[in-house]
Amino acid sequence: MNDVASFDHSLPILDISHVTKRYGGMVILDDVSLSIRRGEIKVLIGPSGAGKSTLLQSVNFLVKPDSGTIRLEGKPVDASSKQALCRYRQQVGMIFQDFNLFDHLTALGNVELGLVHVKKIRRNEARDRAMQELERVGLADRAHHYPAQLSGGQKQRVSIARALAMDPKVMLLDEPTSALDPELIGEVHAVITRLGEAGMTMILATHQIGYARNLANEVVFMENGRILEQGPPEKILEHAELERTRAFCSRIADARG
Amino acid sequence: MTKGWTAIMDGFSYMLEGAWVNLVVVLGALGFGFALGLPMALVQVYSRSAFLRKCIGAYVWFFRGIPLLVCLFLFYFGLFEYLGWNLSAFAVGVIVLGLISAAYQSQILRGAILAVSEGQMKAGRALGLSDGQTIRLVVLPQALRMAIPGWSNEYSILLKDSAVTYALGVSELMARAHHVASRTYQHLYLYVTAGLLFMTMTWIGTRLLRSLQERLTIPGFSK
Repeated sequence: MNDVASFDHSLPILDISHVTKRYGGMVILDDVSLSIRRGEIKVLIGPSGAGKSTLLQSVNFLVKPDSGTIRLEGKPVDASSKQALCRYRQQVGMIFQDFNLFDHLTALGNVELGLVHVKKIRRNEARDRAMQELERVGLADRAHHYPAQLSGGQKQRVSIARALAMDPKVMLLDEPTSALDPELIGEVHAVITRLGEAGMTMILATHQIGYARNLANEVVFMENGRILEQGPPEKILEHAELERTRAFCSRIADARG
Repeated sequence: MTKGWTAIMDGFSYMLEGAWVNLVVVLGALGFGFALGLPMALVQVYSRSAFLRKCIGAYVWFFRGIPLLVCLFLFYFGLFEYLGWNLSAFAVGVIVLGLISAAYQSQILRGAILAVSEGQMKAGRALGLSDGQTIRLVVLPQALRMAIPGWSNEYSILLKDSAVTYALGVSELMARAHHVASRTYQHLYLYVTAGLLFMTMTWIGTRLLRSLQERLTIPGFSK
């Protein structure tokens, strides 16, 4: 809380500037810049292969960008220093499409791991804190279940609890409901909505346009590794300036019925 | 018939002591091979140095390509003699079997590490764990579980290979069976006994590893 006072709220909390990533001859991210203010929720939309996932993974250097700068609260991240990188990653929570829970640990163990080994909190305190986070996502009664004993929706909620336990300043959610059965999407969306209401800063990649409209402060349309258009959800989803954006949104809307 | 049985009865405790020697050689070699094989596997999977990876590859290629007996002689009568190291046949047996086992175990472990999904590593890094912590806390606990069936195989192979240390003069089960047989002329009975003792040790070892594997199975998880 103390750094809130020293931090100018009009400045972006997270600033992505001129990020480029190539794989082989393919340009996956082409000079992408995006800023997000504290408490803001941005939703990335765009066809598969647009670079949404690579962008999110570049933000916390799970994919190393070829060029570009990431700034958290104005400070550029020095990815060449392992310690600086670990400190930075603690502050940026990441949610994966396929959960990536640690398969050999219970739900509680998953949430506890970072607290004990990254935050260096003593084990019983870590346990209490982990339990609180599981309660927050409604899974206190599943604390001692292993990932393989949980439904997809439950797994994703555990992974959200695991990220929240690190007290992140920003959350990156990479298609958190794409791997879920339709009837399980709602429970994960409910948790994300509550996070947003609590003031969490988030960048969410999703194909759930209807959900994006309700959640987002701003929708960002990506294609071929570039941000083509961004703006308020009503504008981008209904009256986009670019033909490409309109075509994509209408196709998605048709597919969802 | 009775002469055979008498030979077995008289020689049994002597042979059983030999079986114990085999077991110690095998456990020593398994342990030494693991201590050497695990870092080798980690280097092969994670090291950015192509040179280091190639060195490990060459090591594995070398020990996989040479017959055990040649290896034992090479080290016992050759290398260690040349270096002036005065090691017992037993110690050389453990070392050489361990060096060979390291080559095989490194490949068992490498496969097991690669079988842990890449997403596990990403999730660890994303939490702010260092790569070393992620490997130690996330990847290895899963990989080592998956390596148990491979180890079980390695144990049974080593156990049988340990009989070859006889050629260096290690007083193990086969050496003792041969010793008793050459005095009593009851070769058939004594070698059958030796064989049965090896089978029993294989059976017990693989059973123990199987129950270890079952005990360590992650609930609900199947791979």
